[in-house]
Amino acid sequence: MSDYPISGYHGRVLVADLSRGEVRTVPLDPETALGYLGGRGLATRLLYDTIDPACDPHGPDNAFVIAASPLIGTNAPTAGRGHMVFKSPLTGVIGTSNSGGTWGHAFKSAGYDALVVTGAAASPVMLDIAPGRAEILPAGHLWGKTTHETNDILAAASEPGRPARVLCIGPAGENLVRFAAVANDRNRVYGRCGPGAVWGSKKLKAVRVQGREKISIADPEKYQSGLDQAIYLMKQAPVTKRLMRDLGTAGLVELINLIAMLPHKNFQDCVHRDEDVERVSGETLAKTLLEKAGSCYLCPIGCQRHTRVPGRAGGEERGEGPEYETMVLMGPLCGIYDMAAITRANYRANELGLDTMSYGGTVACAMELAERGLIGREEMGGLDVSFGGAEALETLVGMTARREGLGAELAEGAQRLAAGRGRPELAMTVKKLEIPAYDPRASYTQALGYMTSPSGACHLRGGYAVSLAFFGGAKEIPRFSLLQSPIAIRNMQNTGILQDSLGVCRFTGYAFSADPWARMASGVTGRDLSVARLEEIENRVATLERQFNIEAGATAEDDALPDRFADVPVVVEGRERRVSRDDQERMKRDYYRIRGWDEEGRPTPELRRALGIAERRR
Amino acid sequence: MSAVKWQAAGDLLREFQALGRASLLYDIQDSHSGNMAVRRTNERGQDEIVITATGSQKGDLEPSQICFLSATETDYGYYKASSETDIHARILALPGVRASMHAHLKDLILATLDDAPKPERPPDFVPVDPLARHHLGAAVPVDWFAVPSGSPELARVIPERLAAHPLTIIFGHGAMAKGRSLREAFFRLCVGNYAGAVVRSMERLRIDLGAVRSALAADPARALAAPPPDYEVEGDERSDFRDEEEILKEFVKAGHRVFESRLSPFHTGSMSVRGVATMLYAPKASMPREVGGPLLRVPLAPAPADDAETALHKAIYAGSDFQSVMHCHIAEAEAAAYYVYPGETAPADRIIPVDAEGSFLYLVIPVLPPDVPAAALIRALHDYKAVVVRGGGVWSVGGQSLSEVLHHPSSLREICIFRMGAVERGLDLRKMEPKKAKRW
Repeated sequence: MSDYPISGYHGRVLVADLSRGEVRTVPLDPETALGYLGGRGLATRLLYDTIDPACDPHGPDNAFVIAASPLIGTNAPTAGRGHMVFKSPLTGVIGTSNSGGTWGHAFKSAGYDALVVTGAAASPVMLDIAPGRAEILPAGHLWGKTTHETNDILAAASEPGRPARVLCIGPAGENLVRFAAVANDRNRVYGRCGPGAVWGSKKLKAVRVQGREKISIADPEKYQSGLDQAIYLMKQAPVTKRLMRDLGTAGLVELINLIAMLPHKNFQDCVHRDEDVERVSGETLAKTLLEKAGSCYLCPIGCQRHTRVPGRAGGEERGEGPEYETMVLMGPLCGIYDMAAITRANYRANELGLDTMSYGGTVACAMELAERGLIGREEMGGLDVSFGGAEALETLVGMTARREGLGAELAEGAQRLAAGRGRPELAMTVKKLEIPAYDPRASYTQALGYMTSPSGACHLRGGYAVSLAFFGGAKEIPRFSLLQSPIAIRNMQNTGILQDSLGVCRFTGYAFSADPWARMASGVTGRDLSVARLEEIENRVATLERQFNIEAGATAEDDALPDRFADVPVVVEGRERRVSRDDQERMKRDYYRIRGWDEEGRPTPELRRALGIAERRR
Repeated sequence: MSAVKWQAAGDLLREFQALGRASLLYDIQDSHSGNMAVRRTNERGQDEIVITATGSQKGDLEPSQICFLSATETDYGYYKASSETDIHARILALPGVRASMHAHLKDLILATLDDAPKPERPPDFVPVDPLARHHLGAAVPVDWFAVPSGSPELARVIPERLAAHPLTIIFGHGAMAKGRSLREAFFRLCVGNYAGAVVRSMERLRIDLGAVRSALAADPARALAAPPPDYEVEGDERSDFRDEEEILKEFVKAGHRVFESRLSPFHTGSMSVRGVATMLYAPKASMPREVGGPLLRVPLAPAPADDAETALHKAIYAGSDFQSVMHCHIAEAEAAAYYVYPGETAPADRIIPVDAEGSFLYLVIPVLPPDVPAAALIRALHDYKAVVVRGGGVWSVGGQSLSEVLHHPSSLREICIFRMGAVERGLDLRKMEPKKAKRW
């Protein structure tokens, strides 16, 4: 147990400078801990204090921070997630990504609250972390290996009761693919915004952790009251009690299609044949490829899909997924309804260390370019890259990870690909991040979420409006309200910040909001972490992320959807819907106001002072 | 004798039908009881009384069951009209009165029943809730009648009472209310029944009603929260946010639910959804679907003309990230706020659910004093989402939607009903409540 003044924390931040080959431990300032909680909040603060947001994201001046939370180490449901923050090589703004699995818990058990990695090594290295010990080790023998191979080699060091957990990149990260992922537990990934490319640029292949350090709970009764409530509500909510375990996230496919939000052919429309949608649904996955469901650390929801699929060249392959986003972005978004092909492409992407979402969005963009004659068949050696080309989907995964042929352009992401071919408007991105699998024309709230997400078009950082627009139960919100959307999305974004900062899963939000977390967090720390106090923290983190982006060069102009969403309508419940430029502008300005930012979306000095983020603390 | 019209049509018919149905939904009539009347100048410029037909079903009024009578002469329509027409005619002759309504307010009648020998005049009814105190006064007259329906005695006494009071009680029968509009008369009847329901709930909880009334008499301003706004008879048709189709629908649904589920009497309470610079505001939250009420778009910035209710909505938004707010007057919760555990002397500062659903949704619901400062109320709303202000109704908040905030008063009413039932059955609430809830 730690003697840190706040229960739930070890009070230690591990700092690794790869340029110098040094590792040291620095104390975690208690004020920072309580002001930012952990996870995303704490990592964002530590990153802001560590780097210049204008730095080259592929350079040694960039850093990444992974933070645990005070709930990790307790038995709070789903509390085992880690959060990584960095400057994104894909977007040029803050990269912020989250992963489940077991690594987050193992890292906390190693006796640290956060890991800060700066500089860059001259040759491949890895970090090896255990209680009281942290070393930089050579990793040349791992370079070039897949995420699965790397994981299996390093996890072999496990001891009874003290398993080694591994975080690593694959070839995509080594080759600086701008949307390369970082994997843990083989198939759990920090996917979005290209953290793998940051690791690759630092020549960091892996971080292995082991530990058994415990944390204390200051007020067990208060903690238990929140826990009781959370468990009860999770057992009641249909999504958390059954849908995810039975059907996985792909169970959303048919539901999202029902509300005319399922994107098609690079967001050209949302029109699908029902029988096609059924071919890529969670129900079909459960009947055909699913072997068993699985769970992240301490998760009663169990959305993981352990699957098997016929190999392309015969035999059988085993792996995990695909998840909803992968299924749709590699599937219908590319005009593909071949679940086996999507599943194999998903397996390859996980092994090679690619974000399946950005990959799907980038391939869809390439397919539209091909359809318009801007990518020739000869560039792919005769392979059909037009919509529906399942073989191309599978083949391009490896080419992208290795930057071969057309893959070298795909490795730059959809925006750079489309711009390079002279048609930037065909990239369905916000701040160069590929849009998730929910068409924003079917929900103004989701549209505004994509526009104002700190990391670009991300449904998890921007606000998961779909969850409340369709599955919200009592909290269901209007989908087309210009008045309500700015506040609704601010509140959803804040809820996301809270969940990310507590190291818990988004899906808990289907069952409950802040109240049980406030009790648990207050109980663990013994401090006032009431809902009102948590709101302050959420607003602080949101504004700090914005400030980071402003200093990185982002402006209000970047908070916009691609032209297609303003110009081309989709039909929702019999009415044509688009998100006009005027409506985007109105919602955006209202959003800035509700955040307390100026008309250009810049946090004012007064607000920054009030939130304690006026100065960078080196 | 005036020419008589026998088929009501248009707005007038809709109003009678809507309020008739609402009175059945609110359970203040039996299938054929009650009556309602308005006085107006008809299309020919004649003074006219429009009144429901005798024996008509108020929940399903037909056009032919609305009678049009001369206000100054007896015409043949009198024979089809309500047996209480004489009473209505005299009430409608009172200065400023344009409507009257009679209903069987079961909760209020139960609260005023006694077994004293008659014809002694029963004591006035003394309401203990803020709504009735403000809208009906500190004492509501009760009269016993040998023939308590349609009698000349009634026609003499009731108008006299209503000359001085908004509502009067006919012992063992019902109540009669006057109004500047039929809606106001109905509003007063609903508030009257609510007052009875609060008292009845207190009795069921074995609360010392005498002590509550004494405290109220000694210092009404201290015993009750800020008075509710006066009833406005104009402006119910105003709708400032027709362009917000989905939110408008939510307001209509929530308003109807608040009314029908008895979360607040007709046209009481308030609810809002916040925008960036304005809030969408229903100052008469309890709105039967066919009746409605004003739907306003109000600047969020405080204004000198704001009543206490509006000001509190704005203060909650200024001090929080909430998106929706609702204020209701739930009889069972109002009573529960005065509950004193056996062996204790002061009312409890929290309501602890004893039912399974309530226990997990709300560990506790705080009870705050009538004069709670806005900042303390907002803090409690952050922590508990729903709070009861003793003598001030139930405030609740939501992070996203009106539907979300509606769930809180609705659940709270169930929680209070379960607790009340437990007390009635002689069960020990302390044994049923989770021990740790005392600390939450």
